[in-house]
Amino acid sequence: MPPAGPPEPASQDPPGSAGPGGPARAGTGLAVLLGQVARGDEDAFRRVYDQTAGPVLGTVRRIVRDPAQSEEVMQEVLLEVWRTAARYDPRTGSPASWIMTLAHRRAVDRVRSEHSAARRELRAAVSVVEFDEVTEAVEASLDRERVRRCLSSLTELQREAVTLAYYHGYTYREVAELLGVAVGTVKTRMRDGLIRLRDCLGVQ
Amino acid sequence: MGGRGPAGGAGSAGAGLGGAGLGGAGLGGAGLGGAGLGGAGLGGAGGGDLHTLVGAYVMDAVTPDDRVRFEQHLAGCETCRAEVRGLREATARLAAAAAVQPRDGLREQTVLAAGRIRQLPPVTADAPAGPTGQATAAGGPGAGGGPGEPGGPGEAVGASGAGSWWRRLAGTGRPRSWVPRLAVGVAVVALAAAAGLGAAMSGAEHRLDMAQTRSHAVAAVLTAPDATMLTAQVLSGGSATVVMSHRDGALVFTAAGLPDLAPSRAYQLWLMSPAGPRSAGLLPAARHGMTGPMVISGLAPGDKVGLTVEAAGGAPRPTTSPILMLPLR
Repeated sequence: MPPAGPPEPASQDPPGSAGPGGPARAGTGLAVLLGQVARGDEDAFRRVYDQTAGPVLGTVRRIVRDPAQSEEVMQEVLLEVWRTAARYDPRTGSPASWIMTLAHRRAVDRVRSEHSAARRELRAAVSVVEFDEVTEAVEASLDRERVRRCLSSLTELQREAVTLAYYHGYTYREVAELLGVAVGTVKTRMRDGLIRLRDCLGVQ
Repeated sequence: MGGRGPAGGAGSAGAGLGGAGLGGAGLGGAGLGGAGLGGAGLGGAGGGDLHTLVGAYVMDAVTPDDRVRFEQHLAGCETCRAEVRGLREATARLAAAAAVQPRDGLREQTVLAAGRIRQLPPVTADAPAGPTGQATAAGGPGAGGGPGEPGGPGEAVGASGAGSWWRRLAGTGRPRSWVPRLAVGVAVVALAAAAGLGAAMSGAEHRLDMAQTRSHAVAAVLTAPDATMLTAQVLSGGSATVVMSHRDGALVFTAAGLPDLAPSRAYQLWLMSPAGPRSAGLLPAARHGMTGPMVISGLAPGDKVGLTVEAAGGAPRPTTSPILMLPLR
């Protein structure tokens, strides 16, 4: 468990500026870059890559685990961004959120198939220990520090539910099983936890 | 993502064809295009309980069925969509906090691959997201398996090795068991209508999620004016059905009754071209005996669809004899 530090007050960032690789700074830039990517600008695509490949790969790797497969998924995600940049609709969220949603979904799709079920069961056996690593692994960057603090402001059950779902790719039913709590409770904790996280991070 | 976000990989079942599937007669109404239609559960009383799923939903911690139900709920609830947006921004921060440095070389590899991928045009007001635009939206880069092909992005797939059996098969040899293509224009339209696609299309503005784009992509192929259906027996048991559109260069693959495999094995789908085999991804787990749908885009004349049994993680190129080889004509 992360040290139960004092909850971070709502961040000072202007809301709605989430963006990996610099959440408070990259949001607008990414939107502009996506417009250029949509017109086939490879240099803009390189810059989108620079801003998003790290968070995409990191997230995918937590779920997929296998480094080579994770790289494949990361590239699929970036290529999907290239292909569908013209279809990005800012009304549905920030560019970063669009790309990370795509990445997370792809990673989950990759592991959630029958032939990986056995491996997942193995993982399940150890993951109750593993979810500490998420918060342990945080490093000195300001972004990570803020996320770490906000995660530690959740209740233990909220944090476990969010972490197991987001960083490990489990369904809410699997999380309920792992934590030995009712399915309804897990659903509620996932929502409450994310709401608290959102408010703590100061995103819209 | 407004119903036109990037589609999921072809390998994922997502909100796809429901129980009945293509091979039979009907599409399961619930699955195809089911996302966002249907009045059930919109807002109101029924929505309250369902709405607690929002956290699990934005973290993809739901089953495909849950997802469809929740998206129906979303379609009728602007407040809920706003909550989804906010929570997704929060999860994007979780992603940012997990960032790692990709190894050198991946960037240029990715840019190189991008240069070979046709970009989707924007959706315009007078031509809302419909079959044409979405058809290519489904396959994901490089036909589902795309850069995720075990061989690795940028690799010249099939240029060497792997024996030559596939060349023989891809060239002339042809299983006798496949049924020549059927004219399915009318049938497909009927299937689509039965599945409620019309409603799905007209409501496209309100789509929020990629799974829906995926099912639209399936729908796009099925409703393409030149859609044709091919069916074939799989040598090891079961049958495969392909609906393809030459115009869109895309196809939808489904299978029924494939024998279960040991956990260490998986069915892998291939696009066999004269240049060599290209992975189209591993088949997802069957549900109720039905596998798929998988959407493959980027078809070229002379391509064939092949199916092999490989190790669970897939193979860069086929290592066993195909149990299906279906010319696309």
